[in-house]
Amino acid sequence: MAELDDIIHQPLRLRIMAALNALPSGTGLEFARLKKLTGATDGNLGAHIETLAKVGYVGVEKAFVGKRPQTTVTATATGRGAFARHVASLQQIIAASGGNG
Amino acid sequence: MTDLGPKEAAQALSDIDNIVQRVRQSSIYDISSQIMIAAGVLVLAGNLANFAAPRQASLIWITVNVLTVASAAALSTMGGRMPGVQTFDFRVLAAFLLFYGFGFLCSVVLGHFGPRELGAFWAIYFMLFYSMAGLWFGRAFTAMGLAIIALTLIGYFFVEGAAFLLWMAAVNGGGLILSGLWMRRI
Repeated sequence: MAELDDIIHQPLRLRIMAALNALPSGTGLEFARLKKLTGATDGNLGAHIETLAKVGYVGVEKAFVGKRPQTTVTATATGRGAFARHVASLQQIIAASGGNG
Repeated sequence: MTDLGPKEAAQALSDIDNIVQRVRQSSIYDISSQIMIAAGVLVLAGNLANFAAPRQASLIWITVNVLTVASAAALSTMGGRMPGVQTFDFRVLAAFLLFYGFGFLCSVVLGHFGPRELGAFWAIYFMLFYSMAGLWFGRAFTAMGLAIIALTLIGYFFVEGAAFLLWMAAVNGGGLILSGLWMRRI
């Protein structure tokens, strides 16, 4: 039986996890680039990153590049595992229906 | 627990594919823009140096081309871990050698081009590949390549004398720099 991850299931969080998971392990995305890729607003993206960080799916690193603050978000090993299981569950749902998605 | 039908599941997978594609394209644009800016600075400097010292043209352009390949190798090696980015390896080096070899064959061995023709030919030849790459890697490459080809041809036909080198510094060198900066904003 396919078990979907309630945290990742939300559309914007799914996009955030998909974007971070597409990168090599340990590589993160800057907040501004993640915002552009997901098409989210600052507030919305910040809130959903916080939700993902609370459950340990992403790590958030804040640093200064020159005088500008820069936030980098990286998928953790736990997050990558959860995302892989979520994708497998989605594929299972489609397979169970005979591929008539 | 979340319940989902096959239609919603397919939509979610399609969203994931879409985002992965965007990350890949964004990585390609990111590295390419750095390579373009570096190439643009070198081409701009090459044209200005050629304008100032026309007798040193061969030395200037060999240096510019070697530095262009070296900077592309360094930048793509640094970004080689990103999705969709081709690491600089033997095949890429062989592609560069074939590219330069064919260009040399056409312009020097078969064509006996003069300085003006050489200036226009190499810019158009480079940009032809950028334009074709755009068919696979993103329309920005095609738009930029075609724009620089058109401006090069305008210069070739309408800008007379040594001023053509200044035109090429602005159009080819400046065009690459501006295109690289523009690509970073997409």
